[in-house]
Amino acid sequence: MNSSFAQRTTLALLVATILIIYVFPYAFLVSTSVKPPEDALAIPPTLLPQRISLENYSNIGEFPSVQRSFGNSIIIALLCTGWTLLLAVPAAYGVARFATWAGKLFLLVALVTRLIPPVSVGIPLFAIMRSLGLTDTHVGVALAHATIGVPLAIWLLASFMEGIPHELEEAARVDGCSRLGALFRIIIPVAAGGIAVTAVFVFLASWNEFLFSLLLSSTGIKTAPIAIAEFKSQYSIQWGTMTSLSVLYSLPVIIFSLVMQKRIVAGMTMGAVKG
Amino acid sequence: MKLTDRSFVLVLLLPATLFLASFVGYPLFLLIRDSFHDVSIYALGEGEFVGWANYAKALSSSRVLDSAGRTLNYTILALSAEFVLGFGAALLFNAMGKRSEILRTVFAFPLMIPPIVAGLLWRFMLIDNIGIVNHILEQLGLIADSSDISWLGDRDIVLFSVALPNIWLTTSFVALALYTGLQNIPSELIEAAKIDGASAMQRFHRITVPLLRPVIAVVLILRGIDAARAFDMIWIQTEGGPRFASEILSIHIYRTMIRYGNVGEASAIAALFMLGMLLISAMVFFLIWGRGTWQ
Repeated sequence: MNSSFAQRTTLALLVATILIIYVFPYAFLVSTSVKPPEDALAIPPTLLPQRISLENYSNIGEFPSVQRSFGNSIIIALLCTGWTLLLAVPAAYGVARFATWAGKLFLLVALVTRLIPPVSVGIPLFAIMRSLGLTDTHVGVALAHATIGVPLAIWLLASFMEGIPHELEEAARVDGCSRLGALFRIIIPVAAGGIAVTAVFVFLASWNEFLFSLLLSSTGIKTAPIAIAEFKSQYSIQWGTMTSLSVLYSLPVIIFSLVMQKRIVAGMTMGAVKG
Repeated sequence: MKLTDRSFVLVLLLPATLFLASFVGYPLFLLIRDSFHDVSIYALGEGEFVGWANYAKALSSSRVLDSAGRTLNYTILALSAEFVLGFGAALLFNAMGKRSEILRTVFAFPLMIPPIVAGLLWRFMLIDNIGIVNHILEQLGLIADSSDISWLGDRDIVLFSVALPNIWLTTSFVALALYTGLQNIPSELIEAAKIDGASAMQRFHRITVPLLRPVIAVVLILRGIDAARAFDMIWIQTEGGPRFASEILSIHIYRTMIRYGNVGEASAIAALFMLGMLLISAMVFFLIWGRGTWQ
């Protein structure tokens, strides 16, 4: 009894410590964002705001280019997601349903693309986009982001589609449905949940992407991470506004992470560790 | 027209294949081509063929070799911290059973935080004098004055400091992935070993670790690659400074390309970098995963 009490207390303390260390950085970010701007760099720093102020948030209004960058990020992420699903849904179906050497090779190639540091293909991609006339366009950046999205989506979708019983399509085929018809009428509706999860993933991958955006977008179509990073160098770090921007930029991501924690683990391992 | 299964698969794969070939394969080809040419950023696609000169220059440059060493150190540092902490957390979740749910939800929270936010946030917390980390350390009596540790300004520790946001973000992923793996180990196996009188240590060593091998391999390889390729998180904190002390390969490649405009040499370094990652990943894969399946 005694030892179990001691054990439980130790465990509870351990858990509490982990939680505090874990949540602290982000909590501090949120706390700083609702302090008055001048308190961001107060000496000594305070954990909690002495006064609550939304000035850091209203200050964002002074930077229209930063506001526009959020719009750019949304447009690019949506384009990237749509394009990626268009390519990845049929490919994943092919890989998951018909065990051919081509499908296996395809999965392997998709995995190997993860080894490529974005910095190394960035310049050639820039050259390609320029010859296509796509530099400084939303489509250009979205296509670059799709090079990350497509392999990821194929892996995720293939693992979702493998879980769908063959009998469903066979029944449809017996009833006279074509192969492509089976994909559209059976597989896509049944896998809709998996496709939605994949879509969120691809969207977030694009939302978070930094290097391709840095190389491919000059003035008009900067994405949010680039605008935030440049904000730092341009205005000698206004930490107050920086924290409110960071909160706004990361909020959608955090909501999704909490809702889909298991799926995210599967997604980040490309489905190799199923959640 | 009757399609065979095989040609139907090829039709399904065709659009994605064409896309990846033109936007991943072709850039890689251009990269390799550029690595054998003297290409400047101002005249992309042109330049004289120079054979292996860019490679020779890269391999004899102490700055390249230093940043390769730093990349390795950074990766090992971040990965081992993430793995030890993450494995510990996974075992804790597993031991707690259902009650770990809240803890796991909290852990899920930094999973996808944008790297630049993590980098900025830690930079903010680590500012000398007025950063919260030094302030807390001072309050705890661990340092005498809040200016004692210059996390991002001291060349000796900066590589560790820039790894902190990475560790913060990624430990949760490692923990949750390993936890999923632990959950997939049939509990009958552990029970049977218990009945046979195996100690907790033996059960861990003989059952848990071997069965977890594939998951461990996947986690180590994927997170290792991601740490090695890290760019934004470090860039936003130090841009590779002070005096190159946190300049890892991806930052060096970026600088060589964009700031110095030397695309040829940067391409050669990038090609070597990818080759190195491929070899190390293959090695880890066969050492850890391979042994697990052949036993």
